[in-house]
Amino acid sequence: MYAETIVYLIMAVVSLLSVVAVYLAIVERDLIKAVIYSALQSGFYAVLYYLLMAPDIVLVYLPVAVGLIPGVLIVLISKTERWEKE
Amino acid sequence: MDAEFINTYLLLVTLTSLLANAIISIYGLFFKPHYTKKVIALTILSDTMNTFAIYLGYRTWVNGVNPRPPVLTSTPTEKSISEFTARAVDPLPQALVLTAVVIGLAVTLFLVFLGYILYTHYKTLDMREIKKLKG
Repeated sequence: MYAETIVYLIMAVVSLLSVVAVYLAIVERDLIKAVIYSALQSGFYAVLYYLLMAPDIVLVYLPVAVGLIPGVLIVLISKTERWEKE
Repeated sequence: MDAEFINTYLLLVTLTSLLANAIISIYGLFFKPHYTKKVIALTILSDTMNTFAIYLGYRTWVNGVNPRPPVLTSTPTEKSISEFTARAVDPLPQALVLTAVVIGLAVTLFLVFLGYILYTHYKTLDMREIKKLKG
C-alpha cells in the first residue's frame, strides 16, 4: 500500500515538472534554450515511461529524444537563425 | 485520509498534466511564428500522445502487488503464465509506441531538412515574413 503511493507520487511530480519544462520551451525566445528545455521534458517522460512499466520504450526513447532530435535541431539553428522575434 | 483516494488523486494529477502538455504544445504549434519552435512543439505533442497510449495499457497495483513489464524471463509453466496475465501491463501500446518514436524521428529529420531549404530560399524562418514573400 505504501510503495504504491510513493510510485504514484513520483509519477505525479515528474509529470508536473514536465509541464513546467514544456511551458518554458514554448515561451522561450532563445531557440537553443527552448531545445534544451524540450530535451529536459523528454528526460521527465523517460522516467514516466519507466514507472509505467515500459523499459523497452525507455531504451529507444532516451537516445532518440534526448540525444538525436535536440542535436539535429541545434544543427538547424546553427545553420539558420537563433532568436525568435516578437 | 484514505489511501485509495490519494492514489486516484495522484494518477489524476499525472493525467491532467499530460493533458496540459498536449494543450500547451498545440498552442505552440499553431500560434508561435517561428518554424523551429513549431518543430519543437510538434515533437512535444507526439511524445505526449505516445505517453497517453502507454498510459492506456498501464495496470494499477492490485492488493499491494506491483505490475510488471510484459516480459517472460523463464520457461513458461502454467503457474507463471497465470501470474503473468494477472500482473503484466498491456504490451500492444508499447509495440505501437516503439514504432511511433522511430517514425517521429524520421518526420523530424525531414522537417529539419525542409526548414534548411526554406531558409536558403527566403533568408528567414519567421512564418509571418514568409507569408508576405509570395512567389
